[in-house]
Amino acid sequence: MLSSKIQVSVKYCGSCNPLIDLAKLGNALKEALSQDNDLTLVPPESARIDIMLILCGCPRACGNKEEIRARAARSIVVAGETVDLVPTPEKDISAAIMKKLKSG
Amino acid sequence: MIMGMIRGDEYRERLQRVKPEIYYLGEKIESVATHPAFLPHVNAVALTYDMAWAPEFEELLTTKSHLTGEKINIFTHIHHSTADLVQKVKALRALGQQTGSCFARCVGHDALNAIYSVTYDMDQKNGTEYHQRFLNFLKEVQAKDLFISGAMTDPKGDRSLSPSEQADPDQYLHVVEKRRDGIVVRGAKAHITGAVNALGHLVMPTTSMKEADADFAVCFYVPVDAPGLIHIFGRQTNDERKCGCLIDQGNVEYGIVGGEALVVFDDVFVPWEHVFMCGEYDFVFELVERFATAHRQNYGGCKVGLSDALIGATYALAEVQGTAKASHIRDKLVEMVHLAETLYCCSLACSCQGYALPAGNFMADPLLANVTKLNVTRHIYEIARLAQDIAGGILATLPSEIDWQDSRVGKYVDKYLKGVASVPAETRMRLLRLIEGMTCGTALVESMHGAGSPQAQKIMIMRRANWEHKKRLAQKLAKIRERPK
Repeated sequence: MLSSKIQVSVKYCGSCNPLIDLAKLGNALKEALSQDNDLTLVPPESARIDIMLILCGCPRACGNKEEIRARAARSIVVAGETVDLVPTPEKDISAAIMKKLKSG
Repeated sequence: MIMGMIRGDEYRERLQRVKPEIYYLGEKIESVATHPAFLPHVNAVALTYDMAWAPEFEELLTTKSHLTGEKINIFTHIHHSTADLVQKVKALRALGQQTGSCFARCVGHDALNAIYSVTYDMDQKNGTEYHQRFLNFLKEVQAKDLFISGAMTDPKGDRSLSPSEQADPDQYLHVVEKRRDGIVVRGAKAHITGAVNALGHLVMPTTSMKEADADFAVCFYVPVDAPGLIHIFGRQTNDERKCGCLIDQGNVEYGIVGGEALVVFDDVFVPWEHVFMCGEYDFVFELVERFATAHRQNYGGCKVGLSDALIGATYALAEVQGTAKASHIRDKLVEMVHLAETLYCCSLACSCQGYALPAGNFMADPLLANVTKLNVTRHIYEIARLAQDIAGGILATLPSEIDWQDSRVGKYVDKYLKGVASVPAETRMRLLRLIEGMTCGTALVESMHGAGSPQAQKIMIMRRANWEHKKRLAQKLAKIRERPK
């Protein structure tokens, strides 16, 4: 039976020289998603992904590739201290992503 | 005729039609397009137009406008990918190889790109209408293939004081009056490349500002012949050789630098349609950094093109002097190439690592762009030093072309300046003069201070280096917070 929750997956850029702590951000999102009634975290290889979170350590956004975005209908890109190109302090990124995820 | 692309001749004709106020050596200049002091700079800019039409350079020097879809000269383009950024660097190298000197168009181009993104950001935050205003201007620049200068550096007065703290407020360009139809500005911009042979100036503030500096936070476009605009052209090393000499000029057609001037704004009126920032002091740093990044990105392109020509001159001279096969000469030539290509690597790297801004355009990686330019302040000097080393002392003692042509002593100059028997002395003289022009005096200072002095790059590197990340890496490796077993 298919999950009725929105399926969210996370893909990292590779972290060569990150300006933000991607592991910390990833863990914070994992924690937030595990407590959410509408959202659930699935692996990047999943057959169904509704929203792809692309987490990149710097503005270069190496993880923001067409083939990654194509895995889901919608994607959100973190690139250093920006979320979808909107400047966002590191401490606020997790909350900004959750707000975007919940906004549909 | 393609909309958005003109040729060098049309650029020269445009220069003849405008009447800017220009002074040089106490003389008011009537025609920049024909005066020998300015002709080298006009020739270099004209080449940026003509090369765009040449099939062998077209791929680098033209692109498609994201606004109209029309084919345009690369110098009016807004970068929309890392490929665009890489193309700019390659175009600059190709141009530098052909001119052997600064060709001036990159500054205004970089200003266009910086202002494009910052006007968008200001509008997003404040609900202003700068970006649409700028887009209208940009369309005109692209349609006319307009050569505009980028004017950022203020005279600065007392460097320890902010703009609003100066004893003379005119040390930083500022707004003195706001009218219903526009603003009036006063002050000056220094070291402005291409100022005397551009068709207009894109003026930007030069340093980060606070609320008290709001009158100095101003960005606008002004045509070169606007009333109250005065240009005082700078002297260059051996600039008198432009008048009456040929061989002694070295770079006969294009000169040695971009042609810089002090531009005075003596209560110049700017209509609102050409004002792109007026009082938004909190966006000045963003504008300065984005412009500086774009401009510092360039230097591993254009200066490497110049270095290609200089290395070629040095290699050719070594052959003429019979030293080309000496192992130490070959080693020095290899070192020159190594240094030049290192700079090219830097410019390519900061371009490849470029990224999108909220407006959708791309900028180079700021940290790497500053590293590029800081390396230019060192490597170009070392390349020049090696060229002078290989050339020998004759670089500083060479008799003039006038004595070489003199009926009494010319035969001696010709006899004793000869190197290997198969090459005429004139060839050696021409190569020496080219190396002299490219390595002595003004040309080198451009590599040091153009696009900002070394300390400006270090400040940006300090800001951009990820210190906390580096510290965490060290702490993890040394297990700083773990108790010893």
